[in-house]
Amino acid sequence: MSASIEIAGVSKVYDGGVRAVDAVAMDVRQGEFFSLLGPSGCGKTTTLRMIAGFETPSSGAIRVDGADITHVPAHKRDMGMVFQNYALFPHRTVAENVAFGLRMRGLDKATIAAKVKAALAMVELSGLEDRRPAQLSGGQQQRVALARAIVIAPRVLLCDEPLGALDKKLRQQMQFELKQLQKKLGLTLVFVTHDQEEALAMSDRIAVMNGGRVEQVGTPTEIYNQPTTRFVADFIGDTNIFRGERVGPNLDVGKGLILALPPSEMQGTGVLSVALRPEKIRLIPRAESAAAGSSAHGIVENTNFLGGAVLYRVELAGGHRVLVQQPNAGTSRLFVPGNGVTLEWTPADLVVLKD
Amino acid sequence: MQTTASPSLPAAQQTASVRAPGPARPYGRYLYLAINIAILVFLLAPIAIVVVFALNPTPFIQFPPVGVSLRWFEKFFASRDFMHALGFSLEVAVLTTLSATALGASAALALARGNLPGARLIVATMLSPLMLPAILTGLALFQTYVLLDVGRPTWGLVAGHTLVTLPYVVRTTLAVLHNFDLRLEEAAQNLGASPVRTFFEVTLPLIKPGVLAGAIFAFIVSFDQFPVSLFLVSPGNETLPVTLFNYLKFDLDGTIGAASVVSIVLAFVVVIGLDRTVGLRSYVKL
Repeated sequence: MSASIEIAGVSKVYDGGVRAVDAVAMDVRQGEFFSLLGPSGCGKTTTLRMIAGFETPSSGAIRVDGADITHVPAHKRDMGMVFQNYALFPHRTVAENVAFGLRMRGLDKATIAAKVKAALAMVELSGLEDRRPAQLSGGQQQRVALARAIVIAPRVLLCDEPLGALDKKLRQQMQFELKQLQKKLGLTLVFVTHDQEEALAMSDRIAVMNGGRVEQVGTPTEIYNQPTTRFVADFIGDTNIFRGERVGPNLDVGKGLILALPPSEMQGTGVLSVALRPEKIRLIPRAESAAAGSSAHGIVENTNFLGGAVLYRVELAGGHRVLVQQPNAGTSRLFVPGNGVTLEWTPADLVVLKD
Repeated sequence: MQTTASPSLPAAQQTASVRAPGPARPYGRYLYLAINIAILVFLLAPIAIVVVFALNPTPFIQFPPVGVSLRWFEKFFASRDFMHALGFSLEVAVLTTLSATALGASAALALARGNLPGARLIVATMLSPLMLPAILTGLALFQTYVLLDVGRPTWGLVAGHTLVTLPYVVRTTLAVLHNFDLRLEEAAQNLGASPVRTFFEVTLPLIKPGVLAGAIFAFIVSFDQFPVSLFLVSPGNETLPVTLFNYLKFDLDGTIGAASVVSIVLAFVVVIGLDRTVGLRSYVKL
């Protein structure tokens, strides 16, 4: 049965005082696809390794279905793990690799053989039982690692950047298959990645980590549309971040640019940061006048054709540089560097950030 | 250099200028072959001479050989002294291999994994018998045994051989441990293997090539050991190299050659035997 995980104020301090993980608290629900997302060195892998039992927290507790497992050794945790480099046993065949966990559980040979067969069929590797890991492609090794981890019916499946070594096409296919498998088996899955697109595409919920701390926990749409901190806004996707002083219902971000604040944020004084996604801005040919607070004039500095969309860098009259993304609506609407343009947006699309 | 040949240059001329440095290559290959053959001759010539010496029927070293005979082999195998020495040498070599392998592999594991303070110093100390002249090691052991008044027991000889063969096992085991992916052990534990089970299921099979290579070195070095043995054997219970040395002081006939050939064959048998029984070939190219 899949289990829930509770990480209660866990810190990991290494010799020399490095705080790899700093008071992390989060709950992973039963049957949930939960991602730990962040740049390298953010503490996501250390957090995963503490869940697996390869590292011991310096303080705090980890509970699975309410039971404290903080000091339970790794081999008694009943968790499956897919490692970044797969960590397949090179001296054993595919079938022996998959059978390993079952063997450790003392199952009889017939049961093991049946379960191994079923697991290999599930990851579509039937027929490769007698190969050695070195004779498989990266994608096949990945599937063996996955089969080896799920065949023991773990309470929790842990994945440490499992798709990192695959090329883009295969990666997308494996993302899809892993997600399907997780849903089908109702697995509680903790997935570590530095790839925000991967996290957004696969997760039920995401914890964005930075500098050993959790910045924000939320669904992919929450993380993308309502980032709460400057780091999350900046790390997830492209964004424009403005910082300025409140002047009544507006934000003065300097260089002559005034932004109208969203209706919910009109009260208050002081300094504030806001984020505006490039695709929330409309780009039109230079208009006669611009509505104060929700539009600005500028000159296209750079046109980056992405295929389905076009990403522009626009220099505003005052000197701000803004990213604008427009759907590719045909060549007639393509702006080229040097074009005068007007930017328009809706104040409600501004997201106020905690620093 | 005509590297920037203009496009108008006729094609034939272009290919000619490309081919120009070509003939240098075969010469390079011949040189490469010649050097390799020279190295092989240098390495194998002494063995060839020993074989010729063993098969030559005259009682003195003579070149060119006058014929082929097995009389020196007969003499060697008929000699009780030589046979006893050969048996004793094999016994000591086997015991040495076992103790040096067990101790050396355990030490290497502790040094690579144990987070020991001063690990580098310990490694240097363990490898130091390689740097010291073996005759000094033998003399030092001899004096120690005299001081301790333990006599010259077989275990004392095995201990001395272990001391000089340990560095090989430590070295080769450390080399495989250095490249060991610790995540393999984590994967085993994650799948439910206790630390002890992990060691026997994953760690040991994967470091086996290094341990085996060390064991082979230990056997050959022990079987071939002279300086240390010279001080530690007791009269009437001598290893083959010591017996050969004593024989050599009074006789110089083909028996020495025959004994050497038998030693070489035995060394081969050990390596090939290990290959067959534990599949050495799947790990290292022989």
